[in-house]
Amino acid sequence: MLFNSLSFVVFLAIVLAIYYSKIFSWTNKKRMLLLSSYVFYGMWNPPLVILLWISTVVDWTAGKRLAVEDSQKKRKLWLVLSMAVNLGFLAFFKYGDFLLENFKALVNSIGIEFQAQPMDIILPMGISFYTFQTMSYTIDMYKRKTERARTFLDFALYVTFFPQLVAGPIVRAKELITQFYEPKKATVNQFVWGLFLLTIGLFQKVVMADTLLSDTSDTVFGSDKLIHGLDAWVGTLAFSGQIFFDFAGYSTCAIGIALMLGIILPDNFRYPYASLGFSDLWNRWHISLSSWLRDYLYIPLGGNRHGITRMYVALMLTMLLGGLWHGAAWTFIVWGGLHGTYLILEKLQKRFLPFKITKWNGIFLAFITFTCINITWVFFRAREFDTAWNMIKSMFYMQTDGEKILGSFDILKVCVVIGILFLCHWLMRNTSMKTVSLKTPPWVLGLVWAIMFFLICIAQGSGEQFIYFQF
Amino acid sequence: MNLKKTLLIALILGLIAIISWETYWRSQGYYPNLDDNKELWAVQRAKVNQLTDADVILTGSSRVLFDIQLNEWEAETGIRPLQLASAGASPLPIFHDIVENTDYTGTIIVGVTPGLFFSTTYPLALPWDWPQTRVNHFHNRTYAQRLNHQISLPLQKSLVFLSANEMDWTDNIDLKSLLKTIHIGNRVIDPMPPFNNFYDTLEDRNTTMTERTVTDTAFANTIKKVWGFYGSTSPPPDKASTMAFFVKDANKFIAKGGHLILLRCPSSGGDRIGENHGLPRADFWDDLLKQTNVKGYHFEDYKQFQNFECPEWSHLSAEDARFFTTELAKIMMKDNVITNSKIN
Repeated sequence: MLFNSLSFVVFLAIVLAIYYSKIFSWTNKKRMLLLSSYVFYGMWNPPLVILLWISTVVDWTAGKRLAVEDSQKKRKLWLVLSMAVNLGFLAFFKYGDFLLENFKALVNSIGIEFQAQPMDIILPMGISFYTFQTMSYTIDMYKRKTERARTFLDFALYVTFFPQLVAGPIVRAKELITQFYEPKKATVNQFVWGLFLLTIGLFQKVVMADTLLSDTSDTVFGSDKLIHGLDAWVGTLAFSGQIFFDFAGYSTCAIGIALMLGIILPDNFRYPYASLGFSDLWNRWHISLSSWLRDYLYIPLGGNRHGITRMYVALMLTMLLGGLWHGAAWTFIVWGGLHGTYLILEKLQKRFLPFKITKWNGIFLAFITFTCINITWVFFRAREFDTAWNMIKSMFYMQTDGEKILGSFDILKVCVVIGILFLCHWLMRNTSMKTVSLKTPPWVLGLVWAIMFFLICIAQGSGEQFIYFQF
Repeated sequence: MNLKKTLLIALILGLIAIISWETYWRSQGYYPNLDDNKELWAVQRAKVNQLTDADVILTGSSRVLFDIQLNEWEAETGIRPLQLASAGASPLPIFHDIVENTDYTGTIIVGVTPGLFFSTTYPLALPWDWPQTRVNHFHNRTYAQRLNHQISLPLQKSLVFLSANEMDWTDNIDLKSLLKTIHIGNRVIDPMPPFNNFYDTLEDRNTTMTERTVTDTAFANTIKKVWGFYGSTSPPPDKASTMAFFVKDANKFIAKGGHLILLRCPSSGGDRIGENHGLPRADFWDDLLKQTNVKGYHFEDYKQFQNFECPEWSHLSAEDARFFTTELAKIMMKDNVITNSKIN
C-alpha cells in the first residue's frame, strides 16, 4: 500500500479510529497495529508476508537465546543463524540474478561454457529495510547493547510497524521496542503535527518529485541519444531533486503517521544538499542507514582504530557495500565507490590542507559538495554504464554535438526548483522544521499547509511507487 | 504553537481552494468523466473467466470502443458484450492474452483498424506496448491497486478535478498536464499537434464520442490533425509478422471451439483515403479473411453503413454508433454468427 493512495487514506482512518477508540486494551491495540501492518504489506503481495514472519520468528528466537546464553560459541551460532537467514533472504531475492549473471560472466571469461536463464525472482518490497532492522536487534543483543524485547508481540510489531516497514527509517530496537511497552497516545499537538508532517511528505512525493521533476529526469536518462550538456545537467539535477523529495517524503510521512499514533521515529534527513563535505552529507542523508553501516560494518571492519590505511579500506568497503545495498547492479557499486573516494579525499584534505569553514566560504563549499553529489547520482540513476558515461561526457562538454531534448520551460522549472531546494537546505541546515514552525504565525503555517494540500489534490499523483521501495 | 488554529485555517483555506478549482473547471465546460485506464480495463478483463460460450467479447482499437454501443447490442441480442478494446492499440496482444491465458470459447469480435492491426509486433512500439501494459497490469495488479480503483470510481464520477487521465491528453487538468501546456521559446519543437480528449467512458467501458466533437467542427479538426500526424509519421505496416501472429492465435482459438468474427468499422474523409491508399482492402482485409478463414464484416459491404460521416474521420458519433450497433447486430443474427438469447 502506498502512502499516496486512496486506499491508504481509508486504511489510516480505520487504524486511527480503532487505535483511539476505548474498546481495546493497549495489548489489543498493539495486536491491531500488527495485523494492520501485515494487511498494509500483504495488500501488495500476500505470500511475501511469510518472509516477514520467518524473519520475525528467527530473530525473536535468536534474541531470546542470546539473552540467556553464556557460552560465547553458542551465542555466535545464534547470531550467525540470524544473519544467515536475513542475508540469505537478501542474497536470494535481491542479488540472486546479479550473482548468477556475474558468475556466468566470470566462468565464461575463463573459457568455461556456462549458460543460465535469469531466475526472475520477485523483489519483496522493503526487504533491505526490514532485514537490516531485525539484524540490528540480534547484533545488539549479541553485543549486549540492548535488552531483549519483553514480548513476542512487541518484537513482531518492531519488525513490522507499518509506517516505516517498507522504506525506513531503519529503527534500532532500543529506539522503538521500548515505546511499545507502555500505552501510547498522541497529544493533540503531536497528532496535528503528525498530520502536518504527513502532508509535507505527500507534497514532497506527489508534487515535487512526481509532478515537477520525474518527467525531466526520465526523459534525460531514458534517452538513447547523445544529449546536449545542458540537458544532461538538468536531467541530473532533476533526478537529484526527485530522489530527495521521493525518499525524504516517504520518511516524513512515516514519521508523521507514527507521531499520530504517539510513536516517535528518528529523523532520516537533515537538509542534506547543504552538506559541507561528505562526512557531513552522511550525517544528513538517509541517516538511519548511514548510522547502521557505521555501527555494524565500518566499526567492525576496524573503523579508525587501526591506522589510516586500514581506516580508508574500511571506509571504501563500507561505501561499496552501501552502494550494493541500494541495488543489485555494478552502477550502484560505482556510486558507492565514488562516495568512498570522496570521503577519503575529504579526510586527506582535512589532514594535509585544513581550512576553516566560515559563513562566507560555507555556501560555496556546500555548492561544491552538491555538485559532486550530482555526479554520483548519474551512476545511481543510469541503468547501464554506457548511459552513465554518455551523461558524464555530455555534462563536462566532452560531447558538444549532443541533441537538445528538453524544452526551455522544463530547464527553467528544474533550475528554479533545485535552486530553491538548495537555498532552503542552506538556510535550514542548522535548524529544524519544528523550530521554524514555532516562530511562524498560525495563519502563515495554515496558509502554507492549505497550499500544499491543494497542490497534492490537483496533482492527483500517479506515481505508483516510491523509488526506495526497490532497495 | 497553536496547531489547532493552524489546522483549522488550513482546512478552511484548503476547502475553499478545492471548491473554487472544481467550480472553475466546471465553468469551462468540463464534467466528471471516468478515466479509461488500465484499472478500468483490468476489471473487465477479469470477467472473462466467468463468461459462457453464449457471451461476446469485443476487442480491437478505438473504433470498436466507440462504434459498438453495449446497450444497443444488448437490446438486440440479449447479451451484454464485454468491452476489451483499447484506444490507439493493436488488438493482437489482448487477443493473444485471451487465447493463451483463458479457457474462453465463446465469441470474440476483433475490430480491424488497418493502420493499427497491421502496424507491428515489436514489443516496444506504442501500438503493441500500450495494450500489453494493460494485459501485464491485469496479471500483476495488487490488491491495493484494485482497492484504490474501487475507491476512486465514485470520486471520478463526482468531481471534475479528479479526472486525471492515463492518456496524455492536451486538455487534462491535473497539475503536471497543466504545466506541460506552458512553452517558452522553441529550443525543442514537439511535432505532435494538440490532442484533446474526445470520448466519455462508463464503468463497463461503454464509450461514446463527446458531443463537442460532433458539434464543434474546429475541435473535430484538431483531432483530424492528429490522425494526419500519425499517418505521416508512422512506419510502414508490417503485414507479414502481424498476419502470422494473428493467424496463429486465431487458429488456436478456433481449434479450442471459439468463435471469431472480424469487423472493419467505418472511417471517412482523409482517414479513409489514407487507409485505401496505404492499406488497400484487397491486400489487407481480404487477405486477412482468407488466411484466417473466419467471417468478417466490412462496413463498405452494407448499404446502410456506406454513408457514415465520422466527425473526426475515424469514429462514429454516439448517435451513429447506436444505429451502427443495432444494424450490425441484426445482420450478424441474420447470418447466424451470433445468437439472439432473447429468443433462445
